[in-house]
Amino acid sequence: MSGPRESSSNKLTHREEWAIGVAVLAMIFAVVLMFAQQPILASAAGRGPGTKVERPEAEVRYLSPVALQLSHDGRWLYVVCEDSDVMLVVDTRAARVLRRVKVGTRPKGIAISPDGKTLYVSDETSDAVTEIDAQSFAVRRTLKVGWGPVGLTTDRTGDVLYVANTLGNDVSVIDLRTGTERKRLEAGHYPEYVALSNDGTRVYVANLLARLAPPDRPPVSELTVIDCAKQVIAARVDVPGVIQMRHIAELPSSAGGYVLVPFMRPKNLNPLVQIPQGGYLTHGMAVIRPASSSADGPGSYQVTEVLLDNIDHYYADGFGVAETPEGRWALVTASGADVVSVVDATKLRRLLMRSAAQRLALANRLDSANEIIAERVATGRNPTDVIASADGQFAYIANRMDDTISVMDMTRRQMVSTIDLGGPKELTQRRRGERLFYDASYCYQGQMACATCHPHEGLSDGLAWSLETPQLGRDVVENRTLYSIAGTEPFKWNGKNPDLETQDGPRTAMYIFRSQGFNSKEVEDLVGYIFSLHLRQNPHLAGDGTLTDAQARGRAMFFRDKSNSGAIIPPMQRCYTCHSPLTHFTSRVQLNVGTATKYDTISAFDVPQLEGVAMKPPYLHNGEALELEDIWTSYNPEDKHGLTSDMNKAQLNDLIEYLKTL
Amino acid sequence: MTMRAWIMRRVLVAAGCLFAAMVSGNAQSAIQTPALYTRWTNYTPANGFPAGEVFCVTVDGGRVWAGTTHGLVMLEDGLVKKVFTQKDGLAGRAVMSVAVDPENGDVWVGTFGGLSRYSGGKFTNYTNMTSGLANDLVYGVAVQGQNVWVATGAGVNRLDTRTGSWSIFNETNAPFAEPWGYGISVSKEKIYFAVWGGGVLSYDLAKQTWKPFNDPDGEMELVLYRNQGLIHNIVSSVSYNESTKTFWASTYFGLSGYDGRNWHNYLTKDSGLASNFINAVHSRGDEVWASTQGGLSELDTRTNTWVSYRRDAKTGHGEILVTHADGSKERIATQTSVAHTYILNTDFQGDDIWVATAQGLSHGMRAVNKEHGK
Repeated sequence: MSGPRESSSNKLTHREEWAIGVAVLAMIFAVVLMFAQQPILASAAGRGPGTKVERPEAEVRYLSPVALQLSHDGRWLYVVCEDSDVMLVVDTRAARVLRRVKVGTRPKGIAISPDGKTLYVSDETSDAVTEIDAQSFAVRRTLKVGWGPVGLTTDRTGDVLYVANTLGNDVSVIDLRTGTERKRLEAGHYPEYVALSNDGTRVYVANLLARLAPPDRPPVSELTVIDCAKQVIAARVDVPGVIQMRHIAELPSSAGGYVLVPFMRPKNLNPLVQIPQGGYLTHGMAVIRPASSSADGPGSYQVTEVLLDNIDHYYADGFGVAETPEGRWALVTASGADVVSVVDATKLRRLLMRSAAQRLALANRLDSANEIIAERVATGRNPTDVIASADGQFAYIANRMDDTISVMDMTRRQMVSTIDLGGPKELTQRRRGERLFYDASYCYQGQMACATCHPHEGLSDGLAWSLETPQLGRDVVENRTLYSIAGTEPFKWNGKNPDLETQDGPRTAMYIFRSQGFNSKEVEDLVGYIFSLHLRQNPHLAGDGTLTDAQARGRAMFFRDKSNSGAIIPPMQRCYTCHSPLTHFTSRVQLNVGTATKYDTISAFDVPQLEGVAMKPPYLHNGEALELEDIWTSYNPEDKHGLTSDMNKAQLNDLIEYLKTL
Repeated sequence: MTMRAWIMRRVLVAAGCLFAAMVSGNAQSAIQTPALYTRWTNYTPANGFPAGEVFCVTVDGGRVWAGTTHGLVMLEDGLVKKVFTQKDGLAGRAVMSVAVDPENGDVWVGTFGGLSRYSGGKFTNYTNMTSGLANDLVYGVAVQGQNVWVATGAGVNRLDTRTGSWSIFNETNAPFAEPWGYGISVSKEKIYFAVWGGGVLSYDLAKQTWKPFNDPDGEMELVLYRNQGLIHNIVSSVSYNESTKTFWASTYFGLSGYDGRNWHNYLTKDSGLASNFINAVHSRGDEVWASTQGGLSELDTRTNTWVSYRRDAKTGHGEILVTHADGSKERIATQTSVAHTYILNTDFQGDDIWVATAQGLSHGMRAVNKEHGK
């Protein structure tokens, strides 16, 4: 038979033995290599604060989910990720990401057409909206809108898109049939999010910052109301005492028809030493009831403010809000506390009706939450947007700082799963710092995070704060932006903090957070993050940097050495001496420019950097100058703040046009 | 045919022609009389309107805005809905002009304390100290696209509402003989400015160039040649008529119109104009309305017929004076009349007219059929 041949064939030749040896060695090498790599991956998954990053920080692009939409059947969850310029399509049944759709830069918001066939994503830095086919997920077209678009919604017909432009302080009204901007409606100060009313007659616009007002008055924010039929501003509703109004939800009429808007309520005119007494920075939501179906004038709206904090613990930085379809629950994310608060809408309505006579007093009562909060449910890091499914079964929460979606079972009001969106697992220093920036747990009772007073990635909240001395009304100073502050040391208006490490470390712990604060490694991370913040775009400056005629004339005024009469201007009265372009338009010293008032204990103030100056009113150390013009028309009577008295009005206008380009 | 029969036939034909001519003439005469405003409702302190002069009136759909010495009045459905004053946030007490942005519904208000924007029930103010506004004496305001044009005591301003940028136009960068901008009229291609003492200036939006229109005989308060040019440099307002492609300028010494080729000037001595001292002009279709110190005058350019309205100060009744093209005049008495004969401004709400006077606001309605006191 074939025995010998078999025997012969079973016997390996040397060549075969050699080949097998090589293969085995290769396998061993591969296994070794695999095991050698595994600890690195495990370490990244475990990611302690000191984790080494294997690739340059700039290459690590987190997702940072910030906005959510659901398909009408609830099958697909659309997730807008601001740090990766993508919209993700998540299969809610399989709990996994199916598609990545590339959109414009820094996407922030999302809307879905009434028929569910089209998605619109706002691209904040592109000043555009990406229109996406909700079936094929192909990008159909890009729509040009105003400056810094964030929130958006279509009207009932699906023919009109309303887009809130943060930097433009307005709302673009887009004709979707032609893809062109039909008009722009001026909103309040820094409009971020919008919502279509349940009856489709109005669009509500929540403005992040309060209206500009004298610094000794409490802030007043605005809910702007647009009449959809006429496409005009129908009302500017005062929401007193609060700032940072974010997302908007409306309960069904069967649940009271209230419009809910999360806010922060600062006591900025009280000395900061009162933080340990509680109630200094509270967080809650405006509960706004339109008086009737017609929206004409602010008097048609009743505004009540309800706090969502506990007496001894705060739920900082309300961000997203959603209602369940039948109006039983309202969900409010506390982005600084990593919690979603579940509001019992029935009890909320009962509280409002019972408090009708003392409605305004609710704004300062920290016991309301005991009555109206059904649950506090832990989320991922830095929860932003929240959305409830059409059947009321589930709610989804976008966790910006860990690239996940929390899935909440609304019947049990518990988290049931977390969807990993697939972001990088390693933590860069910047990301660690960013997490700290949004984290309110470092503050006494969780009252605030860095982001509480520097919302929207480092913006100033536009308020004057009593930070310096314990006396009421003394040394009130304007908050400052965090854009481009690297290299502008020292910090604070009195220049006492030589570097940001000092400011964010022991000083923040002692005077602001009233807690142990950040450790030295955390401070390092936080400073790294803050120094990375810049104004992402300056809409006043042409893309190629070319100045308009007025801006060029203004530049000449900024750098002039001679007055209109031809006299030499003393160096200390020239703009560019103290606001040197070589050092971010600051001289990094403290100077008396005649702006101190009788309420200040010092007269020399830090020279602020001017980059992005147009985006950070009010001005001067105490925020007295609401507009750039005020600095020179009202607060420079002796030319101590530069020689400006010889300028005519046109020259001053030109100077301002130039400053706006910085 | 006999001679007699032939003569009879000729007489009959002639009579027929004469009759036809008379009928035709009468019919033409009926056509040549513009619609008359015979019914007036007045708004005075007696029915909640502020006292004093009404400087301007602007129709805003169903709303009517009136600028007065004591604030801004909002009327709805024929009722005074609200009087806004500085306590409500208005920039100044005296309101000289109002313009409504058709795009967003914002109401821009020129006052003697700066410029105000009324939007969504709130006022935002722009003054010389807090904005790029050249001067707080705001006489005129108009909206052109995203720009708001402002006529002030120190030249003309343009505010780009999207960028917040202010531009100033005065003697340093435009042919302003005087800095006093009084009125503004917007056309598709140009902006027209009435400059007190400086004639009319037009600004070409595409070319960004200026063109002055001045009185060819300088400051002389007489007219050497009737249609030589602008009648006088003291221009109180200007109104561009898109349908006739003509701008009309009201001066303190007569009315001027320019159609791009020819001037059309009118004085009391050779027309039905109620007074040469004209505070404002408003032109639409074939009509030119002059708000004068001696009454409200309408020129029907199609028929060259003038109709002037005035109030009998003693009886309060109205008087309409129709001046036909042939110089013949017709007086018609009406039971009601404008609130005062000193007229400052007009605007239209469909066929209705709103009239700002020295003592109240008037709402005029056209005669029904042949009713006008004949």
